[in-house]
Amino acid sequence: MIEALAVPAPGPESPKLEVEADIIGADPCDVACDAMPAHVVGDLCAKDEHWLREHITHCAYCATELRRYDRLNSALTVCGDRCCADVHQPPPLALPPREKIWYTRIDSPVGELILAATREGLREIDFAKETPDALFAIRTRESGADALYVARIEDAEPEARWHLQRAATELNEYFAGNRARFDVPLDWGGMAPFQRAVLEATATVPFGHVDSYAGIARRIGNPKATRAVGNALGRNPIPVIVPCHRVIRSDSSLGGYTGGLVIKQHLLHLEGVTLA
Amino acid sequence: MGKAAVHHLPMAASGAARTAVLEPAVHQSFDGALSRHGAEIYRYALHLTRNRPDADDLYQETALKAYRAWDRLPCDANHRAWLYRIATNTFLSDKRKSSRLRSLDGEVAVETIPAVAQDEDGRLDAGDLLCDVEHFIGSLPPKQRVALVQRKYLEMGYSEIAAMLGCSEEAARRSVHEALRKLRDRFGDRI
Repeated sequence: MIEALAVPAPGPESPKLEVEADIIGADPCDVACDAMPAHVVGDLCAKDEHWLREHITHCAYCATELRRYDRLNSALTVCGDRCCADVHQPPPLALPPREKIWYTRIDSPVGELILAATREGLREIDFAKETPDALFAIRTRESGADALYVARIEDAEPEARWHLQRAATELNEYFAGNRARFDVPLDWGGMAPFQRAVLEATATVPFGHVDSYAGIARRIGNPKATRAVGNALGRNPIPVIVPCHRVIRSDSSLGGYTGGLVIKQHLLHLEGVTLA
Repeated sequence: MGKAAVHHLPMAASGAARTAVLEPAVHQSFDGALSRHGAEIYRYALHLTRNRPDADDLYQETALKAYRAWDRLPCDANHRAWLYRIATNTFLSDKRKSSRLRSLDGEVAVETIPAVAQDEDGRLDAGDLLCDVEHFIGSLPPKQRVALVQRKYLEMGYSEIAAMLGCSEEAARRSVHEALRKLRDRFGDRI
């Protein structure tokens, strides 16, 4: 706590007031008054403080002015004390409840996959070589959720466990050629409406079929949004199950794929799709 | 936390104790930092906002942002400085938002300073003086208010202040001194 009229510890500046006052045509009183704000917050070095004190011993005007500044400083100090008067503890932190997301890794013919689920459903599939664990955890926590790794699916809490189990089983069946439709519940999280519309439309493209980016845009009633559709698909959090691999360019070229075109091609080949 | 934290990744307890999920180590280090610095960050929020409800909000927002971004901090980060920086930026952006909203509404953002009460001899009533000084600080432009609070109440050096405000040291110094001159012009003749 600052004692009301004590001068703050001298600042590290180099002395300059004496020099300034000696300049031809300079008014020492101007120099003194200009330096008073610095004096109040302790910006003056010891030599400058000394110069100021010296000046007011023979200048009543500046002495009065300095007293004013010192009293203003006291007022500031008291204001500061008052606003923090009975505060010893910060208010208790009300962190919003954090969503829990359990995630695990499984093997697949297209490489290791990260599966992530909440209590509501499957939330994410990542191609592990694009997403190291630490990055997944950081991204999740920054979005406000807790990412909880489970080495074995059965170690996740009940509802999430079922979604992870189901997703893993259905993916295995799909890769083995024994499944065309996925039934695992999906959890879109707080997804933006346009993105969600794009992904839901994409989910209606059946196994073994393809559509174009323009075609998806038409499906959602936004025929000019081809590029936005492409971007939204690029952000598909649940590839393979939400079949963005079934969306290609109008000229039958592959387009893009977050997991890499090799995987996109593999999935299309698995589904018996041959492109012209 | 941060880059060295891979081994701190939270693992759910295996086997029988399924529901006993271990909280991440990063939560603990955040809690530790907040218990060390929370009180002073809250006092800083009080100095800036000058009222409890706003200070509570500023503190909550600051802590929440810090919590979310905790992972990105390097292991040797200066948590105290970083928390101050978040609080400062949050305060300034809230101020920018509210002034934009006011201008959208067509209202002019005028911070009126009430007339200063005087006793018979024309001297300022002490209680009212302090209220008026407080109000005056609250009417300073946000960046200037931050600079004054940091220099006067936190005794921060100008290099720190400049870093937080994204300006030069000289600009920070001028800002503080100008605030004090304004104070003197407003109250000096009657104090």
